[in-house]
Amino acid sequence: MADKYLVEPDVGFIKEIGEYGGDSLKKCFQCATCSVACPISPDNKPFPRKEMIAASWGLKDKLVGNGDVWLCHNCGDCSTLCPRGAKPGDVLSAIRMYAISHYAGFPALGKIVNDPKKLPVLFAIPAVLFLVLGLIFKIFGIHWLNFSPERVIEHGDTVGHIAHHAFFHTWLVDLIFVPTSIFVVAIFALGLKRMIADMHANALLEGKTDKENIDPKGFVQSLIKILPTIMKHSKFSECGENTERATPHMMVLFGFIGLAFVTGFFFIVLYGIGIHGPYDALVWLPVKVIAIVSGIALIIGSFLMFKNRKAKAADQMSTYRDWFLIGLVFALGATGMLSYLTRLADAAFLTYLIYYIHLMCVFVLFISLPFSKLAHLVYRTTAMAYNEYAGRK
Amino acid sequence: MTEDKSAPLSGSIMVVGGGISGLTTALEAAEVGYEVFIVEKNPYLGGRVSQLNQYFPKLCPPTCGLEINFRRIKDNPNIKFFTLAEVEKVSGEPGSYDVTVKLNPRYVNENCTSCGECADACQAELPNEFNLGMDKTKGAYLPHAMAFPARYVISPQIIGTEDAKRCQQACKYDAVDLEMQAKTIDLNVGSIVWATGWEPYDASKIDNLGFGRYPNIITNMMLERLAAPNGPTKGQILRPSDDKEPESVAFVQCAGSRDENHLPYCSYICCMASLKHATYIRARYPEAKIYIFYIDMRAPGYRYEKFYKKIKEDENVFFIKGKVAEVEQADDNNQITVVAENAVTGEKVRQTVDMVVLATGMQPTAADAKLPAGELKYTEDGFIINDAEQGGMFAAGCANKPADVVSSNQNATGMALKAIQTLVRR
Repeated sequence: MADKYLVEPDVGFIKEIGEYGGDSLKKCFQCATCSVACPISPDNKPFPRKEMIAASWGLKDKLVGNGDVWLCHNCGDCSTLCPRGAKPGDVLSAIRMYAISHYAGFPALGKIVNDPKKLPVLFAIPAVLFLVLGLIFKIFGIHWLNFSPERVIEHGDTVGHIAHHAFFHTWLVDLIFVPTSIFVVAIFALGLKRMIADMHANALLEGKTDKENIDPKGFVQSLIKILPTIMKHSKFSECGENTERATPHMMVLFGFIGLAFVTGFFFIVLYGIGIHGPYDALVWLPVKVIAIVSGIALIIGSFLMFKNRKAKAADQMSTYRDWFLIGLVFALGATGMLSYLTRLADAAFLTYLIYYIHLMCVFVLFISLPFSKLAHLVYRTTAMAYNEYAGRK
Repeated sequence: MTEDKSAPLSGSIMVVGGGISGLTTALEAAEVGYEVFIVEKNPYLGGRVSQLNQYFPKLCPPTCGLEINFRRIKDNPNIKFFTLAEVEKVSGEPGSYDVTVKLNPRYVNENCTSCGECADACQAELPNEFNLGMDKTKGAYLPHAMAFPARYVISPQIIGTEDAKRCQQACKYDAVDLEMQAKTIDLNVGSIVWATGWEPYDASKIDNLGFGRYPNIITNMMLERLAAPNGPTKGQILRPSDDKEPESVAFVQCAGSRDENHLPYCSYICCMASLKHATYIRARYPEAKIYIFYIDMRAPGYRYEKFYKKIKEDENVFFIKGKVAEVEQADDNNQITVVAENAVTGEKVRQTVDMVVLATGMQPTAADAKLPAGELKYTEDGFIINDAEQGGMFAAGCANKPADVVSSNQNATGMALKAIQTLVRR
């Protein structure tokens, strides 16, 4: 610990943490119950007591780049035992939201994602983008957007069947999604670069690591080492409160992994082999099963999350960011599933409309990834890997 | 400015509770000439103070202060006291209250010489409440060695049994009266001072601190009894599981106090109590190590601060800033490991000790059992709010706020004056 530390309180930061759901932080009187109550806090520089005092003093620098805020899984054990109702769980959650915005950059875009009033704007972006881009291409004679889509005839059937790509051509879709993905990856890459550097500097300052530099190879090894922990949700089950959260979270995570796999798989099938969907032939059945199961997992998982959060309203703060993500995941699963079912039911207008909404949801998911709570996927994983690498006890 | 109130004034004061505060109020009022009734629910006067080994400010045994008070009561014809008595009903207004007092039977009359033959004859054993259940008394018992009045009590639990008859037969002085019945008396008083005191907070409600789960986790009041020469161990501090002399003791401060889940307020006395307890242990076991886990050490005032400083100089007493939030049985299954974060170093501490003392706080008696007086106002936590404007009824000592003996006595003296003011309508 440094002998002298110039305290630079950032009052704006304290206010912002309050706005993100951490307004109970001033009640903390530093009894340190929370650090012991937390079942996953390390012995060496445990959290969240030190985060609580840094937050109430407005010491942004000690928090934003502090990996410990990401080690917290927000189970609420600390808040339950807290003698003051200072809710350390909520405060850490609020700090994470702050950190997400901090590392994402593009504050204007972040505001659109995280401000409930801007929700229509957020959905209007893809809604307009798809139509406008499609119409522009039409002017140049490229018909990637058809308002009276033709039915696809194959395998000798006479009437043909609905194909969503006949409405929005896959080229149009991917022309939008591929650059969006690259943009998202770039934001994360830049954010992570800063975050890892900050996290290491913070760990050195607070004596949380004996490693002087970050060796990329060792870091990747640590990352691989913690993957089973994440997959199995072991940290969730260590918590006393809220253990029931693990199942819905697992459903959503594996739902996304399943859908990411399916998307990647058919991306290769389309552009590699040149076979267009819908993939109704039996050879694709295993992949389709994965898609359907994953979709259902998203719907049920997000619904359970919604229910759990509602039930916990008295003990745990829920902000727009929490509801936004749960709602988006549910909408994603529901529109995906419905556009599939309506296609099978041969309801042309309905299925194209739902597909359009589904595309909007996917776009919103992509673009909001670095700005929304969903960014924890990247940051928490990184922080857990770093903690493993740092060799903390 | 005088108001004419037509109701006749009663010249007497009732003090409910015969602990250190009640005794003080009663004596202060009686010694300036007012008639005082003390109503005490226990079979003895002296209250919580009589359970202590030593008390502040001078660390003298409770006999030191209580005995002189008992002497003053005996010598003062203005004071009448009732033990085993409870206030059942209060009606009236400031200046004239009708109070119904229930007198529970002691089954032993004034002939008792405290010879103890009845206890010897009695076979039944009951948990000793005075020692917080750490040992047993006979069905006929003297509440404690220095009980005032020094008269035996026969527990209602043995009434109607052969044991009760054996007690009666053993008494050479015809002091055992098994036919004694509960009775009620009506008293008219001008003002009432509620000195109903406090109860130690029920430590078994604090789930994470293991009281009741592990025998070697005790409370501060239990330690007082262990250290007291008239206690269950005759003043030896031994850990309950195996009567071993503890080589290390951890004190858990704010056990249930300053905690919204339990008592939201600071109980005021626990820090000083634990510092005092450190002296008990250090005096008996010069090698023993003492670990005090605290949020803030509160040693109010110059004298207490000095006391704290003195204890801090002891190299066998360690102060750790961090509340204990977890306890577990250590590998040697009689030891206890307490877990806290040292907020100064930012490291988690796991300290294994022979014995753990929970510094539990005080809960006003009125928190659980509301008093039979409608006009009293309480804080959320059950402390009585004094309304000087209204007058008539006042709370003294820990019925009003958590306090040490010194502050309780100051407050009790003030309330004697307030009670008198009601009588003389000023």
